[in-house]
Amino acid sequence: MRPLQYIILFSAALLCLLPACQPELPAFVPFEAYEYASLDQTGGTWKPVVLSSASQVGIPAPADAASPAFLAEVAEAKALSASLTPEQQEAIEYWGSNPLIRWNEIARDLAAKYNLPPAPNPDGTYGVPDPANPSQYPYFPFAHPPYACRMLAYWSVAQFDAMIAVWQYKYQFNRPAPFQADPSVEVHLPENQLPGYPSDGAAVAAVSKAVLSAMFPLEKEFIAAKAAEHLDALKRSGMQVQSDLTAGDSLGRAVAALVLARASSDGMRKAQTSRAISDSIRDAAQARLGWHWENLEDPVRPVGITPLFGKVRPWCIPSVEAVRPVPPPAPGSPEFEADAAELKEIAENLTAEQRRIANFWSDGIGTYTPPGHWNRRASEYMVQARFNPLRSARTFAYLNMAMMDAGISCWDAKYYYHYPRPSQAIPGFKTILGIPNFPSYTSGHSTFSAAAAAVLSHIFPQDAAAFEAWAEEAAMSRIYAGIHFRFDAEVGNDQGKQVAAYTIAKARLDGAE
Amino acid sequence: MQAQTPSDALMMPGGQICLAVSYSHDAWSQYWEGTLKRENGNIGTLTREMVMPMFALGITDRINLIAALPWMRTRASAGQMAGVNGLQDWGIWLKAQGFSVQAGPGRAEGFAALGFSAPASNYLSDYMPFSLGLGCPDLSLRGILKYELNGGAYLRGQAGFHYRGITTIERSYYFTTHGIYTDQVDVPNALSYGGALGTWMLKRSLRAEFSLDGLHTFGGFDIRRQDMGFPSNRMNLVQIGFRAQYYLPAVRGLGITAAASQVLAGRNAGQSSLLSGGLTWQFGVWK
Repeated sequence: MRPLQYIILFSAALLCLLPACQPELPAFVPFEAYEYASLDQTGGTWKPVVLSSASQVGIPAPADAASPAFLAEVAEAKALSASLTPEQQEAIEYWGSNPLIRWNEIARDLAAKYNLPPAPNPDGTYGVPDPANPSQYPYFPFAHPPYACRMLAYWSVAQFDAMIAVWQYKYQFNRPAPFQADPSVEVHLPENQLPGYPSDGAAVAAVSKAVLSAMFPLEKEFIAAKAAEHLDALKRSGMQVQSDLTAGDSLGRAVAALVLARASSDGMRKAQTSRAISDSIRDAAQARLGWHWENLEDPVRPVGITPLFGKVRPWCIPSVEAVRPVPPPAPGSPEFEADAAELKEIAENLTAEQRRIANFWSDGIGTYTPPGHWNRRASEYMVQARFNPLRSARTFAYLNMAMMDAGISCWDAKYYYHYPRPSQAIPGFKTILGIPNFPSYTSGHSTFSAAAAAVLSHIFPQDAAAFEAWAEEAAMSRIYAGIHFRFDAEVGNDQGKQVAAYTIAKARLDGAE
Repeated sequence: MQAQTPSDALMMPGGQICLAVSYSHDAWSQYWEGTLKRENGNIGTLTREMVMPMFALGITDRINLIAALPWMRTRASAGQMAGVNGLQDWGIWLKAQGFSVQAGPGRAEGFAALGFSAPASNYLSDYMPFSLGLGCPDLSLRGILKYELNGGAYLRGQAGFHYRGITTIERSYYFTTHGIYTDQVDVPNALSYGGALGTWMLKRSLRAEFSLDGLHTFGGFDIRRQDMGFPSNRMNLVQIGFRAQYYLPAVRGLGITAAASQVLAGRNAGQSSLLSGGLTWQFGVWK
């Protein structure tokens, strides 16, 4: 053969074979449906967070297990689960035996999608996302870390309270699930022996739909479609009848409304201040401390991210003052100079491992933020420990209440101490990641991560060492990236632990331990 | 005559080696965020410099082997992001002449080049435009056609398909049009194409040509408003260029090259202006 023919033949062979090597990139984290490690039969007695009691929201008593109405529903469930298309089978596997894991992932994806700062206008000004007009650019919300941690906290608390109520009614009415009532009903998930009425899955979907739609108003249709898909999967799973789903849905919606009422008056509305208020906070810090943080972007962003997030109503800490850290070392002081020198030294000799850590924990724009990162990690542990939805909701609730309180306390420190970033305090200093638009002290990554690690260590004590090591790595990652001084990170880490101590104290008293 | 690049229509005679080194400087202060052309005060002017040693070998008169290993540096004139530097992608190409026939007042020639490139260092492909490259293996197959008048003027056209693989970033989650739960990024395949009009002058010691070149990716997503660039963006561009090559009469085998190009249109790409210069040294090894 001639040379050209060789090349063409060889290339054709390669081009045909190579696509087979290309992996399908996962748009979600697959996990096997599982049998719960425990059913937590007394879960209905646990103390909810926002609800006054598990029975604050009532549901009608279900039709009796021997009634023709129920038997007809069982027959319908049997017919539905007997003939599944491959897509329906896939949907049941996707939602799995613990749909909280999936909805948490959807919540994180939405946080990532909306985590983009407003672009400057041609005249150098910036628009502000407006909840009253979310579809006008800049879109509402800008899901920065304070927004994301709060969103996850309300989602989790609403799920926890809803699951406590669901458990209370499941064991009060004790009506069998279709596969329990009729052994010939084909089931497509592990046979967890929870009573059927009301459906925990339908309540999870309803809470998710209500809370996420409130937090991401432009995603209402997407979220509604996901919830409908979830309910359809439940209906065909052989695990629930229609009246289970209806009751779970109405219970979930009612609980979500109560929890969202708290959200509407928690102070978040005022957290993103006007320029005048932002300037007065800065001037007060300058007068009190002799320094202030500046945004160094071009054009300058006139207001940092949520200057008054520190005034948002917390879940467990008594006040931000109770956990406010000591003042940072003054710029120019020997302690400051030592940490500034460390940053320069690291920046000049960054190792591959330091770069990897900085990137792994970067969680910057376009990502689910550090709170999202910890939710993902917590999800993995909950699946591994085969948590039921109630216990998962509890874990998410304390994890995210701790991270929201950590965020509130961290933001209080950030704007109270108004400390410059390394790039402002060290002339000519460059970073390998983008610099967030808020003051330096204390580090949000460190505070969020330490609080998360403390709560997860309480829930999974055998893995405490790993959680704490990750929290410290997350804190160090900001030093490697040049985003924070060591004192920002170390004090933030202590602050996160202090905050979490209040959360854990609350968890100890809720009846689950 | 020498095989300077995998996309031109030149072949080195069998037994000849060409060593070349070039320096290029390209800069932009405007870029396309999706289809929106904009400036970015936190980048200012983004400059990329490249030093590229190349090696070409005439295995036979009709089969050439080409290899290159560029070193690069990026920096921004504004903002807080540090630039990076290091080895980019090593590349190797096998180029063959398929036909060469006299036709009318000139000669028609056809070539094919099979190439492969892959990262030569652990540079990070994340955080475009600071990253040195796409960080993925790239298998390409290119066809080149040329018609040259006996007087030295020529017209050339070429097109190549790039089958691009996976690049690994250091984050386990990223968002494109949806969330993706891995550190693997599927870099879109691409077509690169171009046409050139040029001529030989001064007894074939000087060659000058104008070109129009383009890059078109298959798939990929647009940079969202105020987001950073990403290796799996749809990255299209069209540019014009001028290139000259001169063989110094005084020193046998020594040549100099100069080139300039300007991006005219693009998508998720910078509006680059590029200048480059280089030296080539050709010598016989056997024959």
